[in-house]
Amino acid sequence: MRNIEVLEGVRDSIPIVLGYLPLGFAFGVMANAAGLSLLQATMMSVLCFTGAGQYVAIGVMQAGGAAITAIAANILINQRYTLFATSMVPYLKNIPTWIAALLSYGLTDETYAVAMSRYRDQEATASYMAGLNLTAHLAWISSTVLGAWLGTLIGNTDRWGLGFALPAMYICLLVLMVHNKSDAWVAVLSAAICILTAYLIPASMANLSNIIVATLIGASLGVLFNERN
Amino acid sequence: MSETNIWFMIIGVSAVSLLPRILPVAFLSRFEFPPLLQRWLSFVAPAVLGALTAMSILAPQGRIYINSSNIYIWVFIPTLFVAIKSRSLFLSLLTGIGSMAILYNIFSI
Repeated sequence: MRNIEVLEGVRDSIPIVLGYLPLGFAFGVMANAAGLSLLQATMMSVLCFTGAGQYVAIGVMQAGGAAITAIAANILINQRYTLFATSMVPYLKNIPTWIAALLSYGLTDETYAVAMSRYRDQEATASYMAGLNLTAHLAWISSTVLGAWLGTLIGNTDRWGLGFALPAMYICLLVLMVHNKSDAWVAVLSAAICILTAYLIPASMANLSNIIVATLIGASLGVLFNERN
Repeated sequence: MSETNIWFMIIGVSAVSLLPRILPVAFLSRFEFPPLLQRWLSFVAPAVLGALTAMSILAPQGRIYINSSNIYIWVFIPTLFVAIKSRSLFLSLLTGIGSMAILYNIFSI
């Protein structure tokens, strides 16, 4: 373990932590209201660590749906991680496979974005991955506990502006990740395709398949642009 | 849902959310991807971030909301400006959260 890199991972996870606090908290409150015990709500955040997926599972529960429905919905929602994890593979060559696989437990939209932004110019290490992913996961778990435990006491967290923590992080990471015209075009086209898909097929937003569609088309267009340049 | 069913759901959701993250790393790392695939994969991150940014601004509550009363769109502008000028995650976050807090409290009173 290289301590400095663990700390860099922890430092880079701070924006994620700020974003996760209100989201995990809200999940705790919802889970509690839907009849999950404190232990069940906590274990869900420990074992699943999938924001949208956990919300959807609680939604299915509240609508009186079956466990298998919640699981099926989650198969769709989490499909994008296959793509994320695969695109990260070329950067993880120097980390023993089993460690990299284990640390990928903590791969989310947010840790992916932060890590890929770093790996563009710095080598991926297990220490950095651990610092980043475990801190983010810990924030998700502890905010869930707080929400499930004393959710009704705190009330609306929107007025603190934390609703914009994750969007602000996405915006900045996007800016940092755009290195040339191809990148910029891919990002803009992917954004447009994502919104258009959501508009034409509203159901695609519930399972986030619009993000998968946008990524597949966006990245393919990127290859085409690149070929021409 | 009964207690048993809740635990079944938690274990099931855990399996289907962790396997897509772990399996590619566990099984694909021994292969050298062909150059075309590598180039394609290198565009996945900008594409994902473009999509996530668009969704978080234009559909903040899970529904498309493109309208001048969507304060996420207004907060997007200074945040993008600061992100481009400073290239600092911290300053972008400060601008985004600060502007959001101000606008939220002005318009929700």
